[in-house]
Amino acid sequence: MEENKGFGAKALEFVRNNIVPILFILICAFCIPLSGFSPAYLINEIVTRMGRNIFLILCLLIPIMAGMGLNFAMTLGAMAGEIALIFVSDWQIWGIPGVVLAMILQIPFSILLGLLCGSILNHSKGREMITSYIISFFMTGVYQLVVLYMMGSIIPIKHFSVKLPRGYGIRNTVSLLNMRQCLDNLLAVNIGGVKVPVLTFLIIGVLCLFILWFRKTKLGQDMRAVGQDMEVARDAGINVERTRLISIVISTVMAGFGMIIYLQNMGNISTYSSHSQIGMFCIAALLVGGASVDKASIGNVFLGVILFHTMFIVAPKAGAAITGDSMIGEYFRVFCSYGVITIALVMYETKKRRNKSRTAQELARAAAEEAAKEAAK
Amino acid sequence: MSEKKDNNLNSPSKLNDELRSAITPAAAPSALQMREMGPLRALAASFGLPRLIITGFLLLMFIVAPFVGNDFWKQVANVINRFSWNAVLVLAMVPMIHSGCGLNFGLPLGIISGLLGATMSIELGFTGVGSFFAAILIATPIAIVLGSGYGWLLNRIKGGEMMIATYVGFSSVSFMCMMWLLLPYHSPTMVWGFAGKGLRTTISLEGFYDKALANFLAIKFSDDFILPTGTLLFFALLAFLMWAFLHTKTGTAMTAVGSNPTFARAAGVNVDRMRLLSVILSTWLGAMGILVYEQGFGFIQLYNAPFYMALPAVSAILIGGASVNKASIANVVIGTFLFQGMVTMTPTVMNSAIHMDMSEVIRVIVSQGMILYALTRKTEGGGR
Amino acid sequence: MKNGKKLLIRCAFVAALLAVAAVMMVIGRGHTVYFDNKALEYNGQTCGVPYKVVVYIKGEQVAKLYNKERGMTTHIGQNFGMALGITQEKGGDEQIIEVSQKLPYSMDGVIINIPGFLAGLPEEAYLSEFIAEPTAEEMQDDTLTGEEDELVIDAEF
Repeated sequence: MEENKGFGAKALEFVRNNIVPILFILICAFCIPLSGFSPAYLINEIVTRMGRNIFLILCLLIPIMAGMGLNFAMTLGAMAGEIALIFVSDWQIWGIPGVVLAMILQIPFSILLGLLCGSILNHSKGREMITSYIISFFMTGVYQLVVLYMMGSIIPIKHFSVKLPRGYGIRNTVSLLNMRQCLDNLLAVNIGGVKVPVLTFLIIGVLCLFILWFRKTKLGQDMRAVGQDMEVARDAGINVERTRLISIVISTVMAGFGMIIYLQNMGNISTYSSHSQIGMFCIAALLVGGASVDKASIGNVFLGVILFHTMFIVAPKAGAAITGDSMIGEYFRVFCSYGVITIALVMYETKKRRNKSRTAQELARAAAEEAAKEAAK
Repeated sequence: MSEKKDNNLNSPSKLNDELRSAITPAAAPSALQMREMGPLRALAASFGLPRLIITGFLLLMFIVAPFVGNDFWKQVANVINRFSWNAVLVLAMVPMIHSGCGLNFGLPLGIISGLLGATMSIELGFTGVGSFFAAILIATPIAIVLGSGYGWLLNRIKGGEMMIATYVGFSSVSFMCMMWLLLPYHSPTMVWGFAGKGLRTTISLEGFYDKALANFLAIKFSDDFILPTGTLLFFALLAFLMWAFLHTKTGTAMTAVGSNPTFARAAGVNVDRMRLLSVILSTWLGAMGILVYEQGFGFIQLYNAPFYMALPAVSAILIGGASVNKASIANVVIGTFLFQGMVTMTPTVMNSAIHMDMSEVIRVIVSQGMILYALTRKTEGGGR
Repeated sequence: MKNGKKLLIRCAFVAALLAVAAVMMVIGRGHTVYFDNKALEYNGQTCGVPYKVVVYIKGEQVAKLYNKERGMTTHIGQNFGMALGITQEKGGDEQIIEVSQKLPYSMDGVIINIPGFLAGLPEEAYLSEFIAEPTAEEMQDDTLTGEEDELVIDAEF
């Protein structure tokens, strides 16, 4: 009897802690049959999207480790990646060399943006998320200023396929046809009709190893200490500001790499909108995988990508099957992304408050005991 | 429920009594002090650099406009018009800032209530000016219900309001995107012609409440310059009510909750109830705001339109001199004027001056930069 | 001492990255190569046009050209190697020759006149730059679509 109850309570606890992934598994289980997609198609799509997105999502892990929450400003790295790709396609560097060049070229941009973002976030401790969210908007404006008005007029851009005919500014879409999926196709393996982009997965694997290794370094340990408690870390002699800054810079640089991998798969850049939704979708995917604002692992990333993208693929078709209107499904998946982030944020904040009040209660109890002892004396 | 328990546990009743006797006399003036702490010094402190730059920029625009061939009065009329559309939306920021809930990034929730009111009023067959008041009547209970839920949620997550507010706004907008398609609307002016169901993305208000307020007592100076007296009066009324409310006992308590929750609690104010009230007020004002906006604009915009409506309102009040936890009616008026002035003047002036429309970019940089600036400031009064 | 070494390593790392970038700039330059099979006049001398030319690149056929026809392919890098299958007259035997050509770095589009090339004329005779005329679609000033911060619902992800 007792064991049963313990099991029940444990199950309840498990469900409560993993409510978001469970919800998503249910949604997917419900939608997949309705969508009518063949398993082969579905698996193919998911594998493609895994290769495309995992790198981008992994870049969110390090700021979470440093206690800075979900880095909505990963968009900055995406912008750096786009700028590098614009240059590379202006210079007409194609194929793998083009991708490698873009990756090297984006590093200085993203380091600069990361430093900017990190120092702003150091001025707004305690509300990093909303600040990083606004930074992403702010930098979108700056990005537009640079790309739409300064490129071609101040910054040399020559090629007609990149530049607007009016003489300055970059076209709405920049074609990456000549480097399209060049990373994915190199070493690609076909397993039962499913194209597996081995090289992309290898790169992702290297990054995972890097993250695992990084956690064990001095810097990684410092970051975790800062994430646990800034004041304690400071007393322990850790330079809190610098650590936080570095975590954002690493995240931004990685987001830049991720964006280049993402765009070489897509095959074109929507110059003014590619980056705008990236942050939101990556964060939603990470949270779907069971991560929270203060805790996320590589496993969360993989599970999240699979679940989130299954939902993303099947929702429009399933929505159409239920209501006869494909737009419903489109709206539904956007709603899911936002809803998931909302739920995760609420859970995080309530947990934080619960912990805080528990500590306060314990403190009060200790104080009361102390007082009682005093009185007894 | 559990919330209340926690509070009681946090402040043992014995301590509570002590605190009350010790702090009550000091707490009330402290709230008062904040408002009247030497108007000159407060002005100097609050009239920060960004505001100065924007004011200068706007002045420059007004001066330059006639030289580059823009009709000065037309520009003024434009700015006043835009001001009248947006002022109420900005006013919706005030209650939540006062109660310490931060910037209301969840404004879309209020807007949703307003949109529901607007569409239902048309669906129910109201026309003309009457449809405006019908929309208000319908939107009010919806705003109260949604606002209560929203307020309840925000009370559970004190400290993380702004981020969650943003996403509550987003989720509600994307949820309503589905609902606009699914809800059983039938009015032929609103639904897609060929399908006979599902609301259109934009609905013209002609024949309904297009310019319902603006035409009231409108003063016509010239063809280009018609003063939307009614809309301005409506805003003035709401602003006055807001001001008056903030000076009632409840209003003062709300301010106290915002400026120092611990003392307010010690002074016997029910913090959660005050915050809930402020959120409901903000949501309701958001609903009113979108109705006023629509009557000026002439169209109802559904689906994705409300997504980013909070950001201009937030930056407007910040430009007006508010901070994350301090705002006044003057901030609303100045901020809306400066922000809308900037938004309306820059495109026209820039276009005629250098034939390059950078207004969109400037708008984004200035408004987001303003929010960023406010977020990086140390919270004033919060820890006092 | 330790700091100096650290700095050195960092500098070396940056230099290595720059070197890789430079190499990539050179070997990654993409070109579109066009083949013309038409008569070419140079210094009063006219080259004869073969009946048919087949262009193979890495064993794959990329173009089959009769008189006055043009084919194209894309190529990354400056060393462009191809095999030409030349049939001088209708019904004649195909003769395959391996040739290579250096492509000028500055040219996006390169036209190679095959008869001229085969006749062994100097480079400036048979090699010319192809200036792509932007299509009407590309000429279109696709200016910004207004509302920037509007959500793109159908965002492909």
